[in-house]
Formats: sequence, C-alpha cells, structure tokens
Amino acid sequence: MPIRSPFESSIAKPGQGTVVLSLLPPNNPTLTTLTYKYPLKLVPRAPGFVPSTDPAALSDSCPSRPIHLYLLTYGGGLLPGDHIEVSIKLEPRTRMVVTTPQGSTKIFKTEPGSANGIKLIKGHRKQMPANQHLADMSQQSLDVRIGRQAALCYLPDPSVPFKNSRYAQVQTFTVDAAAKGNERSSLCVLDWVTQGRTSRGENWNFRFWRGRNEVWATDEKTGKSRLLLRDSVILDDETEDLDDDSDEDLDEGAGESGLNSHSGRADTPPPQAGLVPLNVIQERTRPHGVVGTLILSGPVFDSLGSYLMQQFNSQPRIGSRNWSSTAPSSAPEPSLSTKGDVTWTAARVRAGFVLVKFGAKDFETAKDWLGGLLREEGSITREFGEEALFCL
Amino acid sequence: MLLDTTQSQHLQTEIAQLEARLHDMRAQLDASQYPSPPASHPDQKTAWMMPSDIYKHDNIHNKFQAGSVHSSSLHALLLLSDSALPLGSFAYSSGLESYLAHNKPLRANPITSFHHFLKLSIASIASTSLPYVLAGYREPDTLETLDNDLDASTPCIVAQRASIAQGRALIGVWERAFRMSFAGPTATDTGAEVAVTAMDDFSDLLKSCSDEDNEYDLGPKGHFAPLWGVVCRAMGLDLHQAAYIFVLNHAKAVLSAAVRASVMGPYQAQNILASQTLQDTIMKRIEREWDTEVEQAGQVVPALDLWVGRHELLYSRIFNS
Repeated sequence: MPIRSPFESSIAKPGQGTVVLSLLPPNNPTLTTLTYKYPLKLVPRAPGFVPSTDPAALSDSCPSRPIHLYLLTYGGGLLPGDHIEVSIKLEPRTRMVVTTPQGSTKIFKTEPGSANGIKLIKGHRKQMPANQHLADMSQQSLDVRIGRQAALCYLPDPSVPFKNSRYAQVQTFTVDAAAKGNERSSLCVLDWVTQGRTSRGENWNFRFWRGRNEVWATDEKTGKSRLLLRDSVILDDETEDLDDDSDEDLDEGAGESGLNSHSGRADTPPPQAGLVPLNVIQERTRPHGVVGTLILSGPVFDSLGSYLMQQFNSQPRIGSRNWSSTAPSSAPEPSLSTKGDVTWTAARVRAGFVLVKFGAKDFETAKDWLGGLLREEGSITREFGEEALFCL
Repeated sequence: MLLDTTQSQHLQTEIAQLEARLHDMRAQLDASQYPSPPASHPDQKTAWMMPSDIYKHDNIHNKFQAGSVHSSSLHALLLLSDSALPLGSFAYSSGLESYLAHNKPLRANPITSFHHFLKLSIASIASTSLPYVLAGYREPDTLETLDNDLDASTPCIVAQRASIAQGRALIGVWERAFRMSFAGPTATDTGAEVAVTAMDDFSDLLKSCSDEDNEYDLGPKGHFAPLWGVVCRAMGLDLHQAAYIFVLNHAKAVLSAAVRASVMGPYQAQNILASQTLQDTIMKRIEREWDTEVEQAGQVVPALDLWVGRHELLYSRIFNS
C-alpha cells in the first residue's frame, strides 16, 4: 500500500471532502478514504458495469471497474461564502467517474455590499467575514491527482450563475510525469457555464464568474512540477470599480433611508450602471448563451480526441462556394454565429492534449451537441458506462 | 530691472527643466523598483504620462537639450513602436478575419462592428498576455517558466503559431540588431543586465533544444509576450511604456489588418488609432491588469477564442491568424 493520505485522520472542515481510490488486489477498486462535510456531500457508487475486455478495447491491461462519485451540495448549488474543497486521489490503474446529478450547479446571488444574504442562513453555513469580496463569493476548488494508468472522467452539469452572483472555481489535475506512452494518466474534463436562468430572463447578469482548469505533471521522485495546460475564463461585469464609489456615495447620501436602499439594491443594478450601455459579459459572450471547454488527455481518451479533431477539421469551410456546374446553387450561406448552432473549435495543443472550446445558443443545444458527439464516438460509454454521460 | 526679470525667467525655466528631469528619473527609478499600480492613487497619475508630456511646457522656447532625449528612453521607445520592426506582425489579424467571416450580417455597418471587435480584442490581449509582459519585465530571469506557462495557457494552434512566430522574430531582431547597442556597459540599470542575460540564455536554450518533444517535458517555445517584457527591460524602457506599447502595437496590427481586409480606409484607421477613446481604452485595460499575476491571467472574451480557433476553417484567408 502506498503512503497514507495526511488528510485521512483530520476532521474535514465545512465544505471539505477527501476521496482516495485504491486498487486492491487482484483487481478490486475500493474507496480507502471518503470524508466530507456539510454543505458538501459525496456519494460513491460502484456500478455493476465492467468495461469490455474484447480486443477492440483500448487499454492493453485489463481496465479496472470505474467507481462513480456524485458530487452534491445541499440545495443543488452554492450560496455566497460557501467554499467547497474537494481533493481526490486516484491511485494507479483506478478509474473514476465524477458527475453532479443535480441538473445544474446553481450559484446563488450575492447581496451587494451587505451580509444580509448570508445572515439568513447564519448558523447553518460557515461565514467568512474576513474579506468582503471573498466573503460573498462562492468558491469551489477541486484537486485531483491521477496516478499512472488511472483515468478520470468528469462530465458535470454546467454552472448556472444567478443574477448578481459571484463565483470562482479552481480545478487542478495532477498527472504522473514519469509515466510514458500507454502508462500515462488519462483525463476528460468538462467545464461549462450558462447565462443564468433563462426562464427568469437572466442573460449573463451575474457579477463575476471565473473558471480555471490546470493540468500539472508532477514527478514524485524529484518533486518537480510543470504546467501542462491552463484554461482560464473570466467573466467579470467590471462594475467593481464603479461599485466602490457608489457604495461610498450611497452611504453618505442615503444615511437615513439606508434600510430602503439596502433592500432595494439587491435586485436593482447600482445607480452608475446606467452609464454602462451594455452588460460587459453579454458583449463578450455574444451570441452565445453557454460557453464551455472540454479537456482530453491520455491513452483512454486518445480515440475520442482524434475523433473530435477529425470532426472539427471536416466542418464545412466558412465562405466556401460550390463551384461545380452540375449542382444547383445551394441555399444562401447560413451565418454560422447566428444560426443557433454550436460554434466550436478543437485543437491538439501540447503534450497530446485535445482542447475543445464551444459556444452555443442555450444549454439544451450544447448538451445535445456534446452528448451526441460523445455517444456517437462511443469510447466513454465503452470504458466508463452510459452513466458517465449522465449530465449530457 | 529688465535684466533681473530676464534672469529670473531664465532661472525659472531652468528650475522647471530640472524638475522635469528629476521627475523623469524618479519615474525610471520607480520602474526599476517594480512600482505599485497607479490605479488607486489619482495623484500618481503623472507616472502614466509619456516623457513628451512632461517636457511639453519648457521645451518649446528653449535651446536644444540633448539630455532630454537621452535620459528618456525615447529612442528605444520609437524603435519598438515602429511598424517596420521586422516581427511580421502584419501577417496576423488576431481573429479579425475570422470574426468578419462569422458575422456577415454585421457587414452592413462594418465600422461599428469593427469598433466592437477592437474593444474585445484589446480587452482579451490585456487579460491573457499583458500579465506575461509585466512579469517578463519585472522578473526577466523567470522567462523560461513564463514561456512554458503561456504556452500552456494558449488554447489554440492558431494563436500559438502567431505568438511563437513573433516571439522568435523578436529574439532575432534583438540578437542581430539591438543587442550591440543596448547590451553595453552603458546600461545603468542592473535589471537591464539581468534582462540581457535572460535573453541570451533563452536564445541558447531555443537553439540547443531539439524539436522532438518529450511527452511531458516540453522545450522552450518563444512566446511573444514575456519576451517583449524582457526586451523592453533590456532596452531601458520603463514598465508603463513597455505595457503601453505592447497593447498599442496590438491595436495597430489589428487596425492595419482591418485596412487590408477592406473594413476601412487608411485615414479612418489612423483616425481611430489617434483617438482619445483608444488611448483611454488601452490605459483602462493596462490599469486593470497591472497587478494581475500570471496565474490569474485568463480569457475575458470567450467568443474570441472561438473565432481565432475557427480561423483554420476559413475557405480563403489573407492572414495567418
């Protein structure tokens, strides 16, 4: 048995969770550690699914059964001040599927400039009063160490930031730098964010959302780390600067009617917002209602990566014409960005990573498109079972 | 009496001059000591002035002052902002060509559409690359790490190609042209020496490295942004100037691409380039990213990544990105 995790004995803090998946002989994946604390909930499940071992399968050695891990938060989302911290370790040759069976990760709104929103639930969830901006920000960090020949398939629901919410997420994946060729760790990570609750007319009306995904290669012997991939998206409505002023103004000017202004400010934009003609985030994501990234690496996802690259490269050329004289002139060229289709790009970047970026009209469109592609190619279903695509 | 007034006038101009020089040298000193952002201190706004602003008042009626040109890094500044600097920047539209192809209906009003794009493009370059310029300037000896991290953060082949081609061209210009003049014993700033060493080391590393990459042990690439920061440091520019020219050059490249893509005429392009709006936009973006660490750099315009990535799908193209 390898070294025991130093976290094992410690009691988890609120929102913290630790998981270690080991492969016990002969070929028996077992969660040797599973701790979590409110508002986080981790539910493991060992499905009866066994990856096919026919010669067509990708891996040389018999792959171990995938273990499912459901990542849940009470209420299906994150409140201001929530800090979820999940650390997962996949020991060599293990496989894990992580999903969020809640339809979406809701990011609840932040009451601007006051702790009202947090006070309501005081006593239930930990308060973080140290820094105002941090205190009313929801945060989630996921740290996964993937051993050699181990594989992670992480296809969660999109994050749905509500109006005025603030959220930051950091997902770090560490692979074994010493592993070569087919011994390498594999990962498939999806990270997507929508414009909010469209049924309530939300259209990129949150304050801040940032998603950062990093893949590091660490050599356990030398302790050296190298950044292999960093995908970082920042959606910031940039009202922060204005806000600092407006808060002061309000406090000075509206001293007596302070209560009113406080309750009113929750849903109305700050007064200065009138000066900003367009919502900055809308402008920068237009015409999409959802944007996302899919990261693929390692031998298990090789074929999927190649498939996606081939799909991307065989897309019709933009602005091409049909020069053949026999074919009737085709319908007027559809505009690719307004058709409501999915606009996407795939690239084989470095160290064998395939990075897919997409933007789509809405959640359903993106889900159908991505789910369709992954099912058509079939290697995820084959290696991890249909449930890995639960969120798609 | 008459003599007295002329004398006092003379003295006054002299004082103004000396003050201006003092100011300029302070600014240089600040730059070498990694200044804090001017954002939150309105009284420090002067740090943002180009040296020309400072000299404006007293230089008109005075005799020629060679020192004012020397002490400010004017010469280096002009070299680096020259559109004839052989970096090949003209070959890249930074996604403009693809943007136009993806937004055909907007062609009805190409100028408005272009303004929109330029704004997004500047915001994006500032959030993704500028932190690397600043870091390269502040810590030239971390060039190799910065290069690796920027390579890891570049999401598509098209943008990667553009950045590497310009970065390597910059190394070439530095080695073949600038190094002889700027890496001499005349350098007063120790930071400049570090920057020169960093350039030499990195260039050697690039040459010695074979193109065959090990799976996880990737060689140096030569991305543009961190190299720009280091070269500016080596050539004695201050940090504000380095950042400003970087973003301005980007705007110039996009505008030049717009002219060649028939979005607008050359006068219109110069009009935009000269406008206060553009200056303000650039300043605002730099100010915003001044303190951004490279770990926090990221794409603020997700749509732009898609346009740049899909440049490869264009049936016909005149630019490389």
